[in-house]
Amino acid sequence: MNTRQLNLNSRIRSSSRTVLGLQKAFLAILLVVLAMAVFNLIPETRNNFFSEANFINILKSASIFLILAMGETVVLIAGGVDLSIGGMMAFSGVVVILLMNAGVPIPVAIALTLLMGVAVGAVNAFISVYQRAEPFIITLGMGIVLTGAAQQLTNARSVSSTLPDFQLIANTQILGWVPILVVVMLAVLAVTYWMLRSTSFGRNVYAVGGDYEVAKYSGINVRRTKAATYLICGLTAALGGVMLASQLNSASSIAGENTALYVVCAVVVGGTSVAGGVGGAIKSTIGLLLLGLLTNAFNQLRIDSLVSYLSTALLGIIIVSILWLDSYGRKRRREAV
Amino acid sequence: MSAATQPVGRRVSPRAAGDFLKNNPIYVAIALLVIVTSVVEPKFLTLNNFDNIVRQFGVLIFAALGMTFVIMAGFLDLSIGGIISLVAVVTVTLIDPIGQGPAILVGLAVGLACGLLNSILIVASGALTQAESLFITFGMSLVYGAVALMYVQGVTQFLTYSESDISIFEALNSGQIGFLSVATVVFLVCLAILAVIEKRTYMGRSVVLTGGNKVAARLAGIPISRTIVMIYAISGLLSAIGAIVLISRVTLADPTMGTPYMTQAILAVVVGGTALIGGRGSVLWTVAGAFLLILLNNCLNLLGVSSYVQFMIWGVVLIAVIWLDAVKETRVSG
Repeated sequence: MNTRQLNLNSRIRSSSRTVLGLQKAFLAILLVVLAMAVFNLIPETRNNFFSEANFINILKSASIFLILAMGETVVLIAGGVDLSIGGMMAFSGVVVILLMNAGVPIPVAIALTLLMGVAVGAVNAFISVYQRAEPFIITLGMGIVLTGAAQQLTNARSVSSTLPDFQLIANTQILGWVPILVVVMLAVLAVTYWMLRSTSFGRNVYAVGGDYEVAKYSGINVRRTKAATYLICGLTAALGGVMLASQLNSASSIAGENTALYVVCAVVVGGTSVAGGVGGAIKSTIGLLLLGLLTNAFNQLRIDSLVSYLSTALLGIIIVSILWLDSYGRKRRREAV
Repeated sequence: MSAATQPVGRRVSPRAAGDFLKNNPIYVAIALLVIVTSVVEPKFLTLNNFDNIVRQFGVLIFAALGMTFVIMAGFLDLSIGGIISLVAVVTVTLIDPIGQGPAILVGLAVGLACGLLNSILIVASGALTQAESLFITFGMSLVYGAVALMYVQGVTQFLTYSESDISIFEALNSGQIGFLSVATVVFLVCLAILAVIEKRTYMGRSVVLTGGNKVAARLAGIPISRTIVMIYAISGLLSAIGAIVLISRVTLADPTMGTPYMTQAILAVVVGGTALIGGRGSVLWTVAGAFLLILLNNCLNLLGVSSYVQFMIWGVVLIAVIWLDAVKETRVSG
């Protein structure tokens, strides 16, 4: 028990040393920016990477994923995993548009969709926390169910909103250039950061993920804490789906394909541990920005038609190498002990 | 643990048979589905239909067989979708330049090489948890998929457009050996080899022990690294065989055709009863799992259920199986 307590303490301490934790993904971002600066010095490869429009573009394309990543981060820190967020995103986009097209007022439709996200999170939480089933497979199955439901509702076609006001929610620009989508993203980021850092719930989430048994004997209601993280994740996934539907003014059942694994990978690349107990909102943001920046940089370079495939390959290599380094570091520490 | 450690097939008392059914609800489910489907559709219970099933789900069964050892050892392989796509396009494009036999061999070699590359990455990084293997193989699946896309520039390759002889593929698709189709024979041979490895060899025991408790296995002198290399190599090779069976059936190779098989293979393995945490499972169970999925699919088709709802039902089955397993474990362990 004593070593466990020590283990928990050291994990919590290491989670607060964010600067060190950020290094790999953060250095990779600096490298990408540096490489793009060099490319911009060469006339043949000059591009718009450093323009204000592209900056907004990167933020906008990262926003939806970032909203999803915040919920996923909380679940991962508590030692769970939620792979249903891709299906959830597609399904909630479809639901919000179908509700509005059926005559439900916009705020009510959005509220109902978010509530549904929480409800799906509650089902995930009930089966994987209270019934102790493997969350990886339960949420994978839930993602399949939600994708199937979205396909059935839309006949696997894309559905558009008939209300012109709906797309204003994400796309209206305030202060002349910041879309509301980005503001929502920043708000979700700030709330998650505050929740993990400054609330007792946040501390409990780290404790539960760090060592479940120790947290239990310390008097934390471990089940309720862990279950709450799935509810939060369902909520952010539904919010992401609503914002995506608003941004595109349409929704489709294929929207969430590969999203869950992409987001989990980005969060892990940022430095949140899949073993639980380590991580944070800022880390996940860095990880996600790295993957977003890479995609954007490749699109800007437009070397030839193969570039999009090449960027996928590079994305895979970056994910593998960062996680490889993490595993290797753990192995070295294991052997040192 | 209970189902795996029970000596099966010595003397079956009615009580033991009852326990066996309670511990393996999948056989009850299969029996029910067989009865329901054969009442609705008498043609169902024919050898011809069995062949059809194996052909139709060939790639799923092969990929799931390969995945079984990986999951039994407590790891995961998400790269099989990428491997299937890559092997398919490589094989089809090589038929014209080097002939069909060598093309198939190269395809198998590519699958094996991808599996070995996965295992080398995992062994070299010292990854011991399922999560670590999950992310590394997911990253590699992006790489393999992208290489497949780059190799054919995103263009679908048609087997029937090739100018050379494609008789092996035609034989795989419609040939017969005795009363069984060639694809079925290939499947039975693979199954037999894997079952022997699992039940009768040191490597097979190593897989189960590695999955049960990696630290204990290491202390007991089990060669964990060699086990990891073997399970990923088998997974890559069987995905490649699945890819070749698949192109012989659909007569084309698309650089993204492997994507859906990753989820389906995991589904077949865990529905069969192999524990996701490792240490318990069997390739024979996986065949039962894949068979259940196929039957479910046939049955739902006969009932005229839409393919989207079928997709949902797969998800529900996945959740239900894992949930029931968890409830059972909780009751056993108190």
